[in-house]
Amino acid sequence: MKISKEKFGQSFDALAAEYQVIAPVRDAGGVSYKAVKKFSEVKQDYLNSKLPPKSFFFPQHEKLLSYKKEGKDVTVKNELNVEKTILFGIRPCDAKGFLLLDKVFKNDQYRDPYYFERRDNTIVIGVACHKIAPTCFCSSLGLSPASSAGSDIFLIDLGDSYQIEAISDNGKFLMAGLEGLEELSTEEQTLVDTIKSAETTSKVDVSTITTKLDKMFDNPYWDTLHEKCLSCNACSFSCPTCHCFDISEEVLKNEGSRVRTWDGCMAPLFTLHGSGHNPRDQKKSRWRQRMLHKFNYFVHNNGDIACVGCGRCIKNCPVNLDIRQTIDGVNKAELVVD
Amino acid sequence: MSMGECLVNTETKAFQPKIVAFLCNWCSYAGADLAGVGRFQYPATIRTIRVPCSGRINPLYILKAMANGADGVLISGCHPGDCHYMSGNYVARRKFALIDSLLKHVGLEEGRVSFSWVSAAEGVRFAEVVKGVTERVTALGPNKGVFKVEDGGGTND
Amino acid sequence: MTSIIDDIRKTARQLLTEEKVDVVIGYEKGSLPLKATPCFVRSPQDVDKLIWDETCENNLAAFVVKTPGKKAIIAKGCDSRALMVLIQENQIVRDDLYIIGVSCQGVIDQRKIEAETGEIIGATITDGKISVQGIECDKVFNFTEVKDITCQTCRYPNPVLEDVHIGGSIEVLQQATLFADVMVMENKSDSERKAYFKEQMGKCIRCYACRNVCPMCYCQECFVDCNSPKWLTGGVDSAENLLFQTGRALHLAGRCVECGACSRACPQGVDIRALSRKVNKDVKEMYNHESGLTEEVKPALNVYSADDPEAFLVKE
Repeated sequence: MKISKEKFGQSFDALAAEYQVIAPVRDAGGVSYKAVKKFSEVKQDYLNSKLPPKSFFFPQHEKLLSYKKEGKDVTVKNELNVEKTILFGIRPCDAKGFLLLDKVFKNDQYRDPYYFERRDNTIVIGVACHKIAPTCFCSSLGLSPASSAGSDIFLIDLGDSYQIEAISDNGKFLMAGLEGLEELSTEEQTLVDTIKSAETTSKVDVSTITTKLDKMFDNPYWDTLHEKCLSCNACSFSCPTCHCFDISEEVLKNEGSRVRTWDGCMAPLFTLHGSGHNPRDQKKSRWRQRMLHKFNYFVHNNGDIACVGCGRCIKNCPVNLDIRQTIDGVNKAELVVD
Repeated sequence: MSMGECLVNTETKAFQPKIVAFLCNWCSYAGADLAGVGRFQYPATIRTIRVPCSGRINPLYILKAMANGADGVLISGCHPGDCHYMSGNYVARRKFALIDSLLKHVGLEEGRVSFSWVSAAEGVRFAEVVKGVTERVTALGPNKGVFKVEDGGGTND
Repeated sequence: MTSIIDDIRKTARQLLTEEKVDVVIGYEKGSLPLKATPCFVRSPQDVDKLIWDETCENNLAAFVVKTPGKKAIIAKGCDSRALMVLIQENQIVRDDLYIIGVSCQGVIDQRKIEAETGEIIGATITDGKISVQGIECDKVFNFTEVKDITCQTCRYPNPVLEDVHIGGSIEVLQQATLFADVMVMENKSDSERKAYFKEQMGKCIRCYACRNVCPMCYCQECFVDCNSPKWLTGGVDSAENLLFQTGRALHLAGRCVECGACSRACPQGVDIRALSRKVNKDVKEMYNHESGLTEEVKPALNVYSADDPEAFLVKE
């Protein structure tokens, strides 16, 4: 099916009255996702946002609860406030990132209410990529610039209109309310097929990385890989799948709050114990952790590689430590025989 | 009552600021003591933190006081040449000049953070300094400045 | 530039062959166009991967403290100033360090290019012209147009400390007014400056790339990582971020060598330099000090004078 951008825009504006709508907008440093009221505010032609949209489900810092003591009375307040939200213009890599984060925040014993309250109240509208950045490598990770995994509704930009497809039940529900749906013409169908068959130019081979990493914990490969790393968290904070966090109590006299903040495994502080001991005090072990977590542990625990090939870490690394080269390096590393 | 809240005098409803005063042990703290012993009146706006020397003051003390909601900060040490440790206040003076200039540059109001030298003999002057600082901070009103952190939990937006 | 890189490689090869150093810290070609990446050469066979051009933007002095053994380092003007401060602060042993000095034309600010061409797909540099193939359009830039803002006002392109100098030296650009950029900022109203810094700090995600890329930020425990006392809370907002950046700028007072690595490293494009430039201007004006120029002149905050300015004092 397709819908003209004009019709879509009208429905979009109408939905913005009912939902909080987050969409890509142009700002000083590039493109970022912000709340909008009108379809005309939305940036149409963009590669991807500077930072991943994971923060809408898993904010960089969030108050979990706050408390106050007055005399003998203690009041505790739940700080979770959730609005019905539409996330518009999510790229396939980031939409897949949501599916991976879902696996982190839910297992057979626990379902994170803060993450899922937001997740369950959000409809994700994905849009296929038209342009592919030189740092994009999603095609190597089972995705493509037009894969719809993780979106509720998926759009392909055809110029004046969108090819529109409902992926989930939520998506079907929202799409049922749209007016002006039409069938695609043959030419448009050809265009859709072309966009769907597009691949990223940059590729890596991850076919055997998980099993190879099983045998690489003590490999000398890690000895030099990390050398130029600065131990900052530019990569982790710009990754759509990195999900480590820290919880701290922020107390001032008789009131305070419990805050959850992003944390990242590249900083030594991440693993520093109260005793002063730090099991990952070397960059070597931290880089090994990064690679193993994404390409090995996560696969064993959740059945998928925790990288979606968005290329943000490559773009943002101040010393150009390129994860694609690191993956290549693992593939080429010689296994040490005991 | 936490640092974040501002005091309001119930009788006059006037804003009464909270000012954190970092006083050097050897001069200004003794000066404050002398003001007390001599019963020189000054506004009850300061919360004194005694430090061994003005050279011991870390710029973060000032920033953190502002972050946690102090309406003003007063820093006072020995007059140049009088430092108990010979050069502590000389070194501090360089640091203070830079702090003062940078804080104004980033948009902190003039008068929120004040620096002075008060000796152990200057009880009257200590009272004058506190009066002056209090007047200026009161005129500025409660701290809603660039460093003020609302409740430590970030803004959640 | 070809001869410069030949000489750098020759020097590096010689140092490694003669085992004068264990490692040469330099730059190699990065994985992205117009991007060099730091590299650590340990064997004479590998020296050919070393490069030298306008993309060598990192300050390699940042790696010196944590790299064990005897090392050679390729140092631009700013790198050498950083090494000088590190030596003054007893962070490195001079005898373990061999400085290969190279005069620097300045480095490219990729953001300026990307603002016009979009993401860079490919680029070549020939004779001061940069031909860029971008995702939006192709364009040829003059190097001076896309020179990093720090390099535009650089007064020390030639290394101040070196064991060997490679290539010629570069004539220092004469500036009518030093710190003209800071003065523009100072002349704005309080509320404009406040709004500017609030906006800039609002972008910070506290990844600490700025701190970690800085050669002067070597504290064992940075105040932001300290949890007793806890200087910063878990919140990430413009007030907290300003506290971090102001605290850091003050800690760099009289030490910052103006390499601009912090601003270039920032993934969010925060104008971090604006704070350190202001402090540097004050240090220069009040104490006539510029960091890392000679070993004899102590950092501005390590010394004092009886007649230092004290206009900041209360008037009572």
